[in-house]
Amino acid sequence: MSSREPRASGYFRSSYAQGLRLLETRTQWTALVLFLTALGIFPFTATSFQLDLACQVFLAAIGAIALMLLTGYAGQVSLGHAGLIAAGAFTAGILFKEFGAKFWITIPAAAVVGALIGLIFGLPSLRLRGLYLAVSTLALHFIVVYLGGEYETKRGFSTGILIDAPRVGDFIIRDRKIWYFVLLSFAAAALLISLNLLRSRTGRAWAAIRSHETIAEALGIGVPAHKLLAFVISSSMTAVAGALFGYYRGFVSVEAFSLFLSIQYVAMIIIGGMGSLLGAILGAVFVTLLPYVIEYAVAQLPNARSYAGMLAAFNYAAFGVVMILFLIFEPQGLVGIWRRVQNYFLLWPFKQKPLGGGRK
Amino acid sequence: MVELEIEKLTLRFGGLTVLSGVSFAVEKAELFALIGPNGAGKTSVLNCVSGLYPGEGTIRFRGQNISGLSAHNVARLGIARTFQHGELFPHMTVAENLLTGRHARIRTNPLKEMFFSDSVRREEVAHREAVEKIIDFVELERYRNTQVANLPFGTQKIVGFARALAMEPAILLLDEPSAGLNRDEREDLARFILRIKHELGIAMIWIEHDMQMVADLADRLHVLEYGRSVTDGPPQQVLKDPRVIAAYLGSSGGS
Repeated sequence: MSSREPRASGYFRSSYAQGLRLLETRTQWTALVLFLTALGIFPFTATSFQLDLACQVFLAAIGAIALMLLTGYAGQVSLGHAGLIAAGAFTAGILFKEFGAKFWITIPAAAVVGALIGLIFGLPSLRLRGLYLAVSTLALHFIVVYLGGEYETKRGFSTGILIDAPRVGDFIIRDRKIWYFVLLSFAAAALLISLNLLRSRTGRAWAAIRSHETIAEALGIGVPAHKLLAFVISSSMTAVAGALFGYYRGFVSVEAFSLFLSIQYVAMIIIGGMGSLLGAILGAVFVTLLPYVIEYAVAQLPNARSYAGMLAAFNYAAFGVVMILFLIFEPQGLVGIWRRVQNYFLLWPFKQKPLGGGRK
Repeated sequence: MVELEIEKLTLRFGGLTVLSGVSFAVEKAELFALIGPNGAGKTSVLNCVSGLYPGEGTIRFRGQNISGLSAHNVARLGIARTFQHGELFPHMTVAENLLTGRHARIRTNPLKEMFFSDSVRREEVAHREAVEKIIDFVELERYRNTQVANLPFGTQKIVGFARALAMEPAILLLDEPSAGLNRDEREDLARFILRIKHELGIAMIWIEHDMQMVADLADRLHVLEYGRSVTDGPPQQVLKDPRVIAAYLGSSGGS
């Protein structure tokens, strides 16, 4: 969504189509080109470890964007996100193991499986709200993880399913640099699809449902249908992220999909800032990198070795502390901080926004 | 031409009877005021019509029985309403609120929206233009891109009114549109209501407590008390009716 902040001088539109553009001004285009160039150069300067981090961030970003659509825009709480990622990963894994299915079949298959699961587990949302709905989505998590575990043991893959690197034609995606660009494109596609949905009829219907269901209904919005649609689209995207995760790791196993993963995704959208796609991305970056930052910080302490065993505990604790700090001091999340900084520079040397809202 | 016909509308919540046997009919371009003391059931009548409450009895819109239809289907048929406290979407701008009101008229599907195809773009532009006409109509030009949460209450009520109008309804249900407005805003509202009646020919059911406004503007009054119809007729006649005066002021036991 284009920023709503006022500009120092004027920017005047001469058609309604102009107002629909995602990028309107030359400055915005320049910023995008610079950002894309930086993303394009990064893999050629980064170490293998940094590339891995970037790939993890892209995967997390797809999941966070999908959850943001569902929770941040349509207002439906879900704790089943890890279950959906697992469903996508297992769809890819099982299709590969049982039928030797190709990448370009397993990814759409994961999308379809995700959509179906979303449809089924969206049904409780027609009756339940808030915490009650969240608890009902927990069932999704446990069912998927149980079925995945059963498959692993029954078929004798008790340590997990190994997946070969995906092959498109004669081309094998194995190199980290290639993976970087593949995952980047998927994340960009997820972002673009979401932006488009949010600036049209469906996005407005979701926002209406989030703020007032009865009113949305009275305006002619089919509330149940749009809630289910939110679940279907979000789950489908998440399952694709899961399938990519399986391929990227080359390995699918239930251990990777704990309930903590769901909590992490919820944390991403809260820390990033509810109701903002930029927030979902910032949250994905933050939550993915936080454990590594903590590990690094602990390693700097004197006697670092003696703390090594407590690293996991440190991680969980720091995670909780960060969540609490954000909820208390920055409920708008990272995106709130970003907007304040942006405003500061846009308005300089003034401090306050003009009354009455200014431009769109 | 009768637009909306309500026959023996009864509404019960458990043992509580909120409406019993309310009947009236509204014609095209008629400004029909629904009055009565607090708790008389005025808003309940609107809620039944718009499908939010399940009432007994029949409600016919242009001859078609709409009782029992879900709220969004009633809205799609062309019955729009405003709410007592505006009940807008506070995080959206005025223009976005109005576009949301046009939901049922916008013909795009989510698959095309994902790619924002040309047809979606054309549709969005067309509806943005329609919204702009409504914004013109209710004189909200300077607020079109302002977030509704940042607007004063009086302006918010006008936005709520505009959002209902954006649905291009055949019937407009107005739930106390003037409550909380100052004198200037009331005059604006009166002007908009008259323009809707004369220029757009939309029938309106109008709940109102400002008796002066009702007496000046309404074509016909319907008085409710304790969920029953008391009387129905032109304002001058109804407002002099001793039963109506008694309903509002209470009758003195002796005389």
